[in-house]
Amino acid sequence: MNNDQKKNYGGAASNEELGFRVIGNNAIQSEKIIAPRYSYWRSVFRVFFRKKINYFLLALFVLMILSAIFVPIICPFKADENVMHAEYFNKSPAYMIKHFGFSFKWLLGSGNAGQSITYNIFAGARISLLLAVICAAINMTIGVILGAVWGFSKKLDMILIPIYNMIANVPMLLIITVLVYILGAGFWSLVFAMCITGWLGIAFFFRTQVMIIRDREYSLASKCLGTPVRRIVSKNILPYLTSVIVTLLATELPGYINYEAYLSFFGLGLGEKVPSLGRMISVSQTAFLTFPWEFWPPVIFASLLTIILYLVGQNLADATDPKTHM
Amino acid sequence: MGKYLFKRILFSILSLIVVVGIVMILVYTAIHRNVVLQTDDLWNKKKENDRIMYEYTRYEDYGYLDLYDYGSFLKTKYYAIYGDDYSNQDDYKADMNAIKNADEVWNNASVQEFVQKYKTDKNYNIKYLAPVNYQNGKQKPGGRAYLFAVDEKSVFSRLLNYFTHIVSFETTNQVKDPNLTKDQRYVRFEKDPYSWAGFALVGSGTQHKYLLYFDTRFPFIHQNWMHLRLGTSYTTNRGSEIMDVVMTPTGNLVKSYQQYPKWIQEGRTETEYTALDFHTATYNKAETLTAQELDRYPDRYTTVSYKVSGLTPVGNSFVMGIIATVIAYVFGIMLGITQARHKDKFFDHLGNAYIVFVTAVPSLAYIFIVASIGTKFFHLPLKFASADNKILAYIMPIISLSLGSIGGEMKWVRRYMIDQMNSDYVKFARAEGMSEREIYNKHISRNAMIYIVQGIPASVLFALTGALLTERVYAVPGVGGKMIDALNSHDNAVIVAMTLIFTTISILGEILGDLLLAKYDPRISLSSSSGGGRK
Repeated sequence: MNNDQKKNYGGAASNEELGFRVIGNNAIQSEKIIAPRYSYWRSVFRVFFRKKINYFLLALFVLMILSAIFVPIICPFKADENVMHAEYFNKSPAYMIKHFGFSFKWLLGSGNAGQSITYNIFAGARISLLLAVICAAINMTIGVILGAVWGFSKKLDMILIPIYNMIANVPMLLIITVLVYILGAGFWSLVFAMCITGWLGIAFFFRTQVMIIRDREYSLASKCLGTPVRRIVSKNILPYLTSVIVTLLATELPGYINYEAYLSFFGLGLGEKVPSLGRMISVSQTAFLTFPWEFWPPVIFASLLTIILYLVGQNLADATDPKTHM
Repeated sequence: MGKYLFKRILFSILSLIVVVGIVMILVYTAIHRNVVLQTDDLWNKKKENDRIMYEYTRYEDYGYLDLYDYGSFLKTKYYAIYGDDYSNQDDYKADMNAIKNADEVWNNASVQEFVQKYKTDKNYNIKYLAPVNYQNGKQKPGGRAYLFAVDEKSVFSRLLNYFTHIVSFETTNQVKDPNLTKDQRYVRFEKDPYSWAGFALVGSGTQHKYLLYFDTRFPFIHQNWMHLRLGTSYTTNRGSEIMDVVMTPTGNLVKSYQQYPKWIQEGRTETEYTALDFHTATYNKAETLTAQELDRYPDRYTTVSYKVSGLTPVGNSFVMGIIATVIAYVFGIMLGITQARHKDKFFDHLGNAYIVFVTAVPSLAYIFIVASIGTKFFHLPLKFASADNKILAYIMPIISLSLGSIGGEMKWVRRYMIDQMNSDYVKFARAEGMSEREIYNKHISRNAMIYIVQGIPASVLFALTGALLTERVYAVPGVGGKMIDALNSHDNAVIVAMTLIFTTISILGEILGDLLLAKYDPRISLSSSSGGGRK
């Protein structure tokens, strides 16, 4: 290193002398962060489809929904179709196929009043899914919205906590059974019974989740920097809770299907006229060793329904958690 | 802490009353009372006034109202004047016949007295059903005249009455018998030849003779002094107290060579092969005792029930429930810890598959899977009630009960273990050179257990209420199905009582769980004054 250069370093050298050049200040450019483009929902689907089994599950899920919608339309179920023909009661698939020729209708044999088991299952699955979707939609909407407000409002806390403590002490089964008993068995009275207090548990759960995130350091920092509550809710809290909502949905949906089966088993759920998986199980359970084709198909179908809903929901919930997007 | 607990218990009692009140409104007011008649064949056969009267007596049976009949009013009135012979007196007969004449009925002095007593003083509704006759004056079938007062219970008075009469104690004045003098009414400790302790608390003048006694039956110490009055079951167990319905053992008689109380007193040596349980002796109200009773008993406590081999309905449910709960906790915790230790390995995946299976599949499905495997491959008895070998009959219900709860415990233990695995104290323990086994067993699992501990009291208590589905499938004579049975048969008192029991248990379980949690983890304080959670 020579002396000239030393002198230049010590003194005020111009930019040109050092090999720099002024390009000006661009306010818009400076706001941009150079990082890979991130889209939340695209990442969700990228993570979801990273697992190959999810393609299979999703296909089953879509197939299940479509068949529950369209099979009962194409093949309408009639409970009393063969009620006058005692020779077709409780007959195995082999017997029915021999008699009527190979058909989708008699693939699973006939029930205790000569009805088609196959058609009954799809009609029951349709009701079960409809019930689950309606109840989940009502309970989740009320529960999530109320829970979010509840998490922020001290006043609401004072009113709702005692109510929650009282109602949470009454077994859900009791509320539903008493209400169904009062209103009479039927689809809409079951929906009403499941929704009248169903949202309360969801709202309470959601309130706690909101509170935890509300008090997280990054939320507090946002608050200190003067971010309005609305922006904190939409940008800091809701993205985190998407996965919580989906997880809840993944347990709620099969939960309602289970519950319907459970109630119908005791003759308390849907009315006699509504085809239901639960009542199929209930009616055939006494003879589950003698007429297994009447008992196992609804059991297996209900299990498949719930397990697919649960797995798709769980995997979607995993994918909606931003922590897995790395 | 004490203040916190007091406040909490107070609030619990309040919520208990509110819950029972809500259910009473639902059951007695919201449902039209004529549902109880819809399946009643007798009601369909009855005609005219008989039919209306029948409706009212039915409503009284189901607890909708209280009925005061003119006939029984007259009986008490004339019994006080003439004694036993009242029914042959002319003025009694005249008063009885007064209601048969619709025009003259209100002029009768006794009828006016009846109206005064119930209408004016108590504000009950007086109902008069005039006789229904044919044109020729002959009475139509079922056309008898009736006069009675109706007390329609309001929700508030019903609730107040329920909770003020819920506990009753036996007193020495309970038995109304003029033959029992004042010195003959007492409560004292006496020698008791039928118990292992040799003595018992014996009452005279009380309904039961043995108020506190000891025997070899679980729970070994029994009492007859305090009774819970939860209401009277109407349909399934006609007219019996609900506590008796769930606490009366069923099964085969257990006979043994025993001596009657008087024989022991007199030092006789003869014995009899009998199943009588002398500890259950209650007062016999009959006017004269039979010669046999006089020979066997020194006092009037001669109504005795039998010893049976089986358990009470609560006992049946509890034995199954408690074994299943223990299995669920032991296996659930063990498997959950193992799963966390082998995270993302084969065992973990297997465990997760099991958890998904029991959470997603309806419990109805796997109970029947257990039932069919058990009966087909292991030849286990399917129906508990008719099984010869009761021990074998316990196996399938217990497995069915615990399958689901094992999965539930595994899920949470695994979750909490994995959450704890990256804590600083674990890293520190590892840095200190502790073995993995020690870290897992002594540090992580103990911290993970904090979350599990809280649910234990509730699980134990809920074993008492039985399992609906399992008991139904295996025909277990337990308490699980009582609620559903009551709902199906409109047994209102049982619905209310079961609500009370369920709610009490769930509140108690929660309080005990929190206390246990505070005991297990000293960092947790229940009263909010010393620190506490963020709100």
